[in-house]
Amino acid sequence: MSDNILEVRDIHTFIGQFHILEGVSVSVPSGAITVLLGRNGAGKTTTLRSIMGLNQVTQGDISYMNGSLVGKNAHKIAQLGIGYVPEHRAIFKELSVRENLQIAARKKGDLENNLDFVFELFPDLKRLIELPGGNLSGGQQQMLAIARALVPDNGLLLIDEPSEGLAPIIIQQLIAAIRTLAANKTVLLVEQNFRVASLLADYFVIIDDGHSVASGSMADLHKEHELVQRYLGVA
Amino acid sequence: MGTNFFGGKRDAWLLVIGMFVAVLVFALFTSDFNLSSFAITLVSGLFQGMLLFLVASGLSLVFGLMDILNFAQGAYFMVGAYLAYDLQHATGVFNITEAVPDPNIRFIIGVLVALFVGAVLGWVLERWLLRPLYDRPLFQLVLTFGVSIIMLEGIRNIWNTTPYSWTDLFAIREAEFTLFGQAFSMYRLFVIGIGILLIIGIALLLRRTRLGIIVRAGVEDPEMVSALGINVRVVFTLVFTLGCAVAAFGGAIAAPFLGATISLGSTFLIQAIAVIVLGGLGSYEGTAVGSIIVGLALAAMQQFSIGVNIPVLATITPMLLLVIVLLVRPQGLFGEAR
Amino acid sequence: MAQTRPISANAPARSANAQNVSFVASLRENWLYWLILIVLVLFPFIIGWLSGDSPFGTPRGDRMVMRGESVYAQSVLINIFALSVLVMSYNLMFGFTGVISFGHALFFGLGGYLMGIILEFGGMDPNIGLIVALVVVLVVTGILGFIVGIVSLRLRGIYFAIFTLAIAEMGWLFFRGLSITNGEDGLNVASLPEWLDPARNRIMVYYVGLALFVLTFVLIRRLVNSPVGSVFQAIRENEERAQVLGYNTLHYKLFSITVAGMLAGLAGMLLAIMNKEARPEILNVSVTVDALLMTIIGGVGTFTGPVIGASGLHLLDTFLREAVVTIGPITIDIGERWTLILGFIFVLVVLIFPYGMVGTWQRLRMRFKRSK
Ligand SMILES: Nc1ncnc2c1ncn2[C@@H]1O[C@H](COP(=O)(O)OP(=O)(O)OP(=O)(O)O)[C@@H](O)[C@H]1O
Ligand SMILES: [Mg+2]
Repeated sequence: MSDNILEVRDIHTFIGQFHILEGVSVSVPSGAITVLLGRNGAGKTTTLRSIMGLNQVTQGDISYMNGSLVGKNAHKIAQLGIGYVPEHRAIFKELSVRENLQIAARKKGDLENNLDFVFELFPDLKRLIELPGGNLSGGQQQMLAIARALVPDNGLLLIDEPSEGLAPIIIQQLIAAIRTLAANKTVLLVEQNFRVASLLADYFVIIDDGHSVASGSMADLHKEHELVQRYLGVA
Repeated sequence: MGTNFFGGKRDAWLLVIGMFVAVLVFALFTSDFNLSSFAITLVSGLFQGMLLFLVASGLSLVFGLMDILNFAQGAYFMVGAYLAYDLQHATGVFNITEAVPDPNIRFIIGVLVALFVGAVLGWVLERWLLRPLYDRPLFQLVLTFGVSIIMLEGIRNIWNTTPYSWTDLFAIREAEFTLFGQAFSMYRLFVIGIGILLIIGIALLLRRTRLGIIVRAGVEDPEMVSALGINVRVVFTLVFTLGCAVAAFGGAIAAPFLGATISLGSTFLIQAIAVIVLGGLGSYEGTAVGSIIVGLALAAMQQFSIGVNIPVLATITPMLLLVIVLLVRPQGLFGEAR
Repeated sequence: MAQTRPISANAPARSANAQNVSFVASLRENWLYWLILIVLVLFPFIIGWLSGDSPFGTPRGDRMVMRGESVYAQSVLINIFALSVLVMSYNLMFGFTGVISFGHALFFGLGGYLMGIILEFGGMDPNIGLIVALVVVLVVTGILGFIVGIVSLRLRGIYFAIFTLAIAEMGWLFFRGLSITNGEDGLNVASLPEWLDPARNRIMVYYVGLALFVLTFVLIRRLVNSPVGSVFQAIRENEERAQVLGYNTLHYKLFSITVAGMLAGLAGMLLAIMNKEARPEILNVSVTVDALLMTIIGGVGTFTGPVIGASGLHLLDTFLREAVVTIGPITIDIGERWTLILGFIFVLVVLIFPYGMVGTWQRLRMRFKRSK
């Protein structure tokens, strides 16, 4: 229990009047990559947003490094060392690549200390540094979105569908990058592409219709054909 | 539908240059190609444009960032005008003419007090009235209406409804400069200069400082800004407060020419709304360029409408310009195409 | 109107028997509305009976002078009718279809001005003039609504709202500067037919106003409860989804904006008849603002909210404008501070009733019922 950096316990979340999450539990062991699996609309994004404080949790508890996150504002949660990479590569299109990285710095030196690492992971960004984010290609935007979460010293990264809509070769690069960064960070990933998920993740949690229905180690999941078939629709 | 033709940002600038040329040519034409009356139009157009900018800039930043159309902005302009007038003259509520006999210093005091009061009132409105209504934008709109009524009535109760016209003279109002053989009060140049300084200053603030980067990011996606660990609400309050302060400041420096009247606020508000929509909501350069274009067009039309004796022409100019721009380019000059 | 696919199936009752049953059912369901209608029909006489003043005015020589409690009360209600129709029409467009316009004053003002111009300068018999005016107002506001509606294809949300604001402001500035209607002083409408002259026959104006009010209420209720109305609401909730479902949302928006514009024109006509004048103020943004505020305060997207918002604020306005309150040694002249109080009312209502008065009430009742 104590080596789980993040512990989501049976949370319920409403969006407006809709009861979207009706009991989701996720354990995220520190130092590993955990993936949230589930169909479209299952509630994966909402789970990440609930952790981040962007959606209001009405029941249940989320504890991060032994402190509760429920009821905290998003900016407070981020300051605890959680980086969020939202779906659809939500970078700031009007801001230059440099400004996109600058804005993420939480204290002096953040950018300077981590910029080399970022450029090592995503060498492309170095030459694009003055370009507006909106001019970047889809893959480059995804890299920027991840890079942005690496500027401050975050212990945990929440990454939502990084491979969505990208070419296979770009996905290869991303997988490599996420592997590298996971060497000293914990990652909670949402990934629809089962192959990508298998390559990256150590643990999985399956979410279906607002409930977490199964979890375990990724290696075991390959044997559970029935589970995979039922909830993910992949053979 | 021809939307693509004017699609990108380069086309926006082309359109802007086209409009500038058209307005200037029209101004030349209405002044019968007489340079000294053209100078009048030019100076008065820039003067009005800068005053518009002072109201519109806050309106535009606040709308871009928080999606609130602050209908009380005009009232802040008026508060500024009344305060500056009052502190300058022996009439009114506060009389400091004896304590501060130098009219120049009184003017500076008036402007500073207006700035300060505008900021305080702006802070109160955002922090204590708008913030609880954060998820209900429509109610925020109603609330700003209510507040503008309260402020207007407050002014009415404090200063009565009689229009005040500025009588006190101070150095830069008396000094003159000439352009194309036409003499103007130095004060107009002063206001134009302040306007240009503010346009550049705010642009630098937005481009070069961390606060500016946060504001620009917040215009796009405030939620993501908070997910990066930034307390976006504080930024909202700050920008709102600054916007109101700048509007009150605008009223204060407009007062020596426009005086202090009860209808000042609503006129400027409606014109400023036209400006920010014409420029493209949420776009700072759109607001700056839009203010100047509308100011110049207004001045040219004022000249023209005197000639043909149809005074309505001048007053409808901002609206007409807005309607035309929206029909050609539905997102305004620099707005995001949706 | 375009072909509609009903979202909520309302099987129309066909047989006479079924109709009878549904009539009784509707009577039971709507008894409060019927009661209010009866009270409103009898209202001039009730006030007349209570105060002892005739509902037809005070006879002086061979004609009636419009004096007395009943006649005065009628004029208050006529104003409320005109205002309610305006606000209901605004709510049709804004509350039920989700189209925000800041230019509703244009339709309202045009109703008054067109009628005034036709009656004063048409040189027709007043009765014929009135009919011509009615037709012209409906046609012009209808066409204008249609054109403005077409623009809503290209302009969305706040851009559309400000576009309509600009158009309406131009209308206001135009009529304020127009010399044949006496510019800022406004146009006196003296050539009303005698039977509809509020200075002679107030009670007829009252019943015409009541009829317009009731018809508008019923029309909007019918419309919103019809399949067309469900599409309106679908557009309000999410226009793109309504499009995906196969509705040509432009047609529906056009329809809603056009009907709202025509109703506002009629409301403007009624007010001009009552005041016997058309002043530029009826074209001012403040008319739109009032409509918007009354809708929001009453309850956006409810049937009774606009009426409650309109009558509530107008009644407060009428009675507080002249009121002087004395509490012990302090005398407060409310009339002098009325506008200030109005500002505070806006602020307070917004902070206290998160969904408007009717909306908040409905929610509270629902919660109460559920918990029982
Ligand atoms: N603003 C909203 N209003 C109403 N329902 C919403 C809203 N946002 C999301 N939902 C619903 O919540 C459910 C979960 O959404 P969520 O985005 O978490 O799914 P997801 O698992 O991330 O799906 P995907 O794989 O498509 O990204 C969906 O059924 C969605 O329709
Ligand atoms: Mg998702």
